[in-house]
Amino acid sequence: MTDNHDAEAHGGHGMQPYLVVFGALSIFTAVSFMAYEWTPRNVSFLIILIVAVVKAVLVGIYFMHLKQDWGKVFFMIIPCFILAMLLVVVLLPDIVLAWHY
Amino acid sequence: MAHAVIDEPKGHMGLPLPNGKVAMWLFLVTEVMFFTGLIGVYLLLRNGQPGNLWPTPKQVHLLEWVGAMNTFVLICSSLTVVLAHWAIGRGRVRQATVFVAVTLALGAVFLVVKAFEYNSKYQHDILPGHIGEVLPPKNDEGKVTGQPSVQTQRLFGPTEQQYAERVREQLQKITKDGGHGGLSDATVKGCRELLTDMEEGTEKIDDKTTKYKPGLSPAEVGERVNKLLNEAEGRKESLHLSPTIPFGNLWASCYFVMTGFHALHVLGGLVVFAVILLMALFGKLGVQHTLTLELTGLYWHFVDIVWIFLFPLLYLV
Repeated sequence: MTDNHDAEAHGGHGMQPYLVVFGALSIFTAVSFMAYEWTPRNVSFLIILIVAVVKAVLVGIYFMHLKQDWGKVFFMIIPCFILAMLLVVVLLPDIVLAWHY
Repeated sequence: MAHAVIDEPKGHMGLPLPNGKVAMWLFLVTEVMFFTGLIGVYLLLRNGQPGNLWPTPKQVHLLEWVGAMNTFVLICSSLTVVLAHWAIGRGRVRQATVFVAVTLALGAVFLVVKAFEYNSKYQHDILPGHIGEVLPPKNDEGKVTGQPSVQTQRLFGPTEQQYAERVREQLQKITKDGGHGGLSDATVKGCRELLTDMEEGTEKIDDKTTKYKPGLSPAEVGERVNKLLNEAEGRKESLHLSPTIPFGNLWASCYFVMTGFHALHVLGGLVVFAVILLMALFGKLGVQHTLTLELTGLYWHFVDIVWIFLFPLLYLV
């Protein structure tokens, strides 16, 4: 098992990709805060959710090096996300749809 | 008779990844399930409440800009930890050490800000089990139209009595010594009036007639407390009375569980960074620890991603 991180760490890229992604994350954080302050509730909810997903994907791809490693780890990550969605769906009827007081 | 034989590709044991990376990703996947259990259920509880009764950030004294600032702090720390890995892979151990130190500092800033937020909740008594839940119903003009429903009184009965008793103790403390501690005369007078009204007793109408005066119901106490708190806030005074916020206890439980577990995860990451810094201090950190830094970074980025979802869910939505 070779250390892929060595090849990548000794690769050609400098700090720039990380700094660009950092800039994008900061801008997206500001966007979601401004959407909360200045847009109607149903619009801001959608913007904030989309921005959160985009930020998480950026962190995953560039900071967690999934750009290089996705093909080797996706089989661990995908089932986990399916189970996570299912957990919410399974509880929906009892906690949300049928709950009353 | 010669015939072509296709050689099967040679199989290799394991994944083309270091063992540590496989282990860390497996661990992170379990952590995703852990936080999904918390955040997913919070989403369900939030959307499961009737009407629009979930506490607003203003009611529970959440400052959105503080949450946004904490998000930015964690994003900066994610940058510095990935730069630490980048630097150590190129043999720049000193630079990597500086980046790790900055990451540790930023993580500590996050926890300090969180501590201030928790203190604010404690000061306002926004704690699970302490908040009044039931308010009397009002019409469109905001006038109280009656008692809470039989259903809400049945459900919240004992809890609301505990709330009323807690408020009684707080009012006795406030009015005991004439109301020092930065409270104005108007606030102390309001507290004294509420304390008197809470007591059941008799009212003398004239020389021959007395009338029974019932005490205030917990819902009425809650409404009066909220009014006192709003007035005190208008005068920029710090009045320590437990508020009444519908679904406030459920909100507080969710808030402290989610942010508390997240903060514990941040603390765990800071411990690892401290160990790395100690290794650097004793000259033990080197290029051979590139994988160590990468795996620590993976964990730290995951903690950052969790906060990226927690912040909008708790503060903005």
